[in-house]
Amino acid sequence: MAAIVFRNLTKTYGKAIAVDNLSAEVQPGRITGFLGPNGAGKSTALRCLVALATPTKGRTRILGHGYRYLRNPQTRVGVVLDSRGFHPGLTAYQNLRVLTSMGGIDKSRIDDVLAEVELTDARNKRVKGFSLGMKQRLSLASALLGSPEVLVLDEPANGLDPAGIAWLRGFIKSQAEKGTTVFVSSHQLAELETIVDDVIILHKGKMVASGPIAEVTGGESLENAFLSLTGGGLS
Amino acid sequence: MRLLGAELRKMTYQRAMWGMVIAGALFSVLGTASTPFILASSGDGLGFGTLAEQNVVDTVYANAVSGYIFAMLLGVLVVAGEFRHGTAVATFVAAPKRGRVLLAKMVAAGIAGLALQSVATATGLLSGYIALLFYPDAARASPEIFINTALSGVVSGVVLGILGAAIGALLRSQVLALMGVLLWLFALEPIMLLLFPAIGKYFLTALVTAIVALDVESEVVNFTTDSFLSPLTAALFLLGYAVVFAILALVSSMRRDID
Repeated sequence: MAAIVFRNLTKTYGKAIAVDNLSAEVQPGRITGFLGPNGAGKSTALRCLVALATPTKGRTRILGHGYRYLRNPQTRVGVVLDSRGFHPGLTAYQNLRVLTSMGGIDKSRIDDVLAEVELTDARNKRVKGFSLGMKQRLSLASALLGSPEVLVLDEPANGLDPAGIAWLRGFIKSQAEKGTTVFVSSHQLAELETIVDDVIILHKGKMVASGPIAEVTGGESLENAFLSLTGGGLS
Repeated sequence: MRLLGAELRKMTYQRAMWGMVIAGALFSVLGTASTPFILASSGDGLGFGTLAEQNVVDTVYANAVSGYIFAMLLGVLVVAGEFRHGTAVATFVAAPKRGRVLLAKMVAAGIAGLALQSVATATGLLSGYIALLFYPDAARASPEIFINTALSGVVSGVVLGILGAAIGALLRSQVLALMGVLLWLFALEPIMLLLFPAIGKYFLTALVTAIVALDVESEVVNFTTDSFLSPLTAALFLLGYAVVFAILALVSSMRRDID
């Protein structure tokens, strides 16, 4: 069974079509890149996937269910949608403690996940003093709290410096090695090229390719493959 | 229960919430403690009577409920604050059943409103007692004023906390919701109460005052509590506001995407 399914997903805002009839699957235990330029519809599709937005048409499934109907979703799916999801006046620990309370997760997990994203030293610092990179890592920590089977990461490399991106690649690989399904979006095609097993490529709301990366690229770089698939335009 | 616990925890972590409790208590103290001085210095120029009259002394103590404004503002922060800081996304991803989350938030806001008003009303009553010590000729307050004021404090704290949370959920914009509540309570309601008392008595300020069962009037400022609803009816009306707005907030939250 696919870990994530998009079936004829369409999302419109007025006359603007953000996602246009997307049908795709993410296989369990693999790293799948959800790629496309800014405005391609990736974030909208992910918001529909985790029930923050209601599809205009079609449906999404994650671990066989609509996200809203997952029992205690924090323990099944870890989600990172943006780095703004923390109260700036609370410490890293307090922000995560609220989430463990919501999910009935043992609070001892907080120190575990902070260590995993190398934020132990910032445990008791208020988030308003965090750099963007630290906020991204805290977002990843929050996604790991419930030891989920699936990670959904929307543009986790945003704002990271080259060292941060290298760290992120290692992080994603280490999660996949543990058997976690990772579904990660990015608008920088080269960023994740070396670590993804499969790709789903969106352009202007439509899926232009999906499958194992080797098949999609045909031996070329991902960027060249994308340019030929979309007729050359990134926007 | 887990969601409620998380909401209460979230509130105790936020300085703004404690700030609201302190502001509510200060507002209540200011309103209560200043009233004897204003009445005495005006020499009945306001037409309410003098401190030698029991109902006027009761009016002093009744001001102890005025922290309800902050209970409502606190309720607004509980929900609209999530949208302001972007934490709504994390909250609704962790608990995607929006109705349950919103219900937990409203109950938490009611509990916080109760706590805020308990502190504010108690400190207000105490400050009124201390202020009246400066006027040895002041009449004794009626015994029921303390019970009625405490009751009004409790009811207004719970109900307006819930109402504030519902308004926060409906408007989502923290600035808009806070400004709207302040304009409503400080501008629209007093104007309506003075110009159209038959309608104004159904508004929040009049309902909270009605629960205190105060008997006061002034021809000078065209104010009387004679036409106010009975305490029980007023409490039910307040509850009605909270229920209607809570239902609107729940329905609206199901239909709208989370940004």
